[in-house]
Amino acid sequence: MILTPGTVVRLALLVIFTVVIQVSGLESIPLLGGTIDLIPLVVGAVALYGGSIAGAAMGFCCGLLLDFIVGQDVGASSLVLTAVGYFAGRYGEVNEPANALLPIPVGAATTAAYLVGTTIVSLMLSFDASLSILAFRDMFLTLFLNTLVALPVFALVRKIIRPVLTRDPLDRRRKRAQPIESGPIGLRGLGI
Amino acid sequence: MYDKKVVRRRRAVLGVLVALSIGLLTVYFGENGGGILHSFQNGTSAVFSPLEKGVSIVFKPVSNLTHWTGDVFHAKKENKQLKKQVQQLQAELAQNQTAQRDAAELRSLVGLPRSSNFASGDKLITARVISRSPTVWYSNVVINAGSGSGVHIDDPVIAAGGLAGKVTSVSGGEAIVTLITDESSAVSAEVMPDGSNGIVRPEVGNPNDMLLDYIDKGAKIRKGDSVVTSGFTSSKLDSLFPRGIPIGKVTKVSPSELEQYQRVHIEPYADLRRMNYVQVLTGNAEQQRAQVVK
Repeated sequence: MILTPGTVVRLALLVIFTVVIQVSGLESIPLLGGTIDLIPLVVGAVALYGGSIAGAAMGFCCGLLLDFIVGQDVGASSLVLTAVGYFAGRYGEVNEPANALLPIPVGAATTAAYLVGTTIVSLMLSFDASLSILAFRDMFLTLFLNTLVALPVFALVRKIIRPVLTRDPLDRRRKRAQPIESGPIGLRGLGI
Repeated sequence: MYDKKVVRRRRAVLGVLVALSIGLLTVYFGENGGGILHSFQNGTSAVFSPLEKGVSIVFKPVSNLTHWTGDVFHAKKENKQLKKQVQQLQAELAQNQTAQRDAAELRSLVGLPRSSNFASGDKLITARVISRSPTVWYSNVVINAGSGSGVHIDDPVIAAGGLAGKVTSVSGGEAIVTLITDESSAVSAEVMPDGSNGIVRPEVGNPNDMLLDYIDKGAKIRKGDSVVTSGFTSSKLDSLFPRGIPIGKVTKVSPSELEQYQRVHIEPYADLRRMNYVQVLTGNAEQQRAQVVK
């Protein structure tokens, strides 16, 4: 990711709109008894396309803003999302995210990691909390819904951050899909 | 391939951000309600309030549609339950009216001052829910009424039916309400008509099932009994609810064989996940504090 003032503004706006749309919009729209959680998906998308540093920074900023806006324990969400963004970014750096369906497993994994991480941090911070089995149902529903919407969310995020990416994964795919040029019919296979 | 410099920078960024998060958590837990992070939290919340209100209004039609769809599916079942409940309430009403008349007569006989009941004498401020916490652990909502409307920290908040929570943070135009389903919440409650006292605690992830702890084994608690606030709370923030706010009804009583207390499950009267409007009882927290000081 190319670090310019434009990049910072672009990512800052993405952080603000993601968190605000999540807490003021999507949280009030129940689907199949659960809700879509946009935050881990957007963090995962930025990490996958932008790398581990961008992912960690995006996770930290999203978590911090979420904690500040909703009045949660400041630092809890940012801690989890920083780790989620970093490791999603490392996955993208090591595996070259050229596969068009990669957002589905990555979206599912980031959501699962975020949900499990939040639960662990919350259990560590609370003294004698009683956890209902329905909390796990909520987690599975969120995971399911996030997996369903992962593709469009990742595509939208890629579109937003594409101008500041050093390499666009879609371009790599297009290049790879180009037909192999060859010589006249009689010389095919000789690499002319 | 990355060189060592890139790897070092990458790890340094991760380390700094994780350390910063842990540092923020430590400071947040260490400071009181007026500390720098809490103040900054209030400020940020106030700054984003107009944007949240706008988004909330934009999403309102979609939210209404999904709620309406869900309501249709539940309507038939709910109608049946409500009819049964109306019958029960009519019987209870007749009993209560008689009891109330008797109580008033007895009070006048012994010359006791008439105690202020729930909501009487308090100013009720109606507010709309503009944002909610996305995790099941933090059951906070933000409402569009703040200190400008007369809302104070620790003011009780009620939704349709019963107690919803209390105000834990206030800025000029909005307030953060910590619901009774938040893992940090603990409300002192009284079971009616038995009069046993206990502590209502949430089960994280299930807003329709709360636990009423510390009820003696000998107490006669029945399914359907009402649970109301008994006048004080015990939580991280010491605050006071007025006595008599309905919380929920008893759904299950399971005496533990090993412990000396019963495990009572209650269902809150207020639908905390789907509420769009709440009422804040202002002024009561200050009065209660003054009484405690005296």
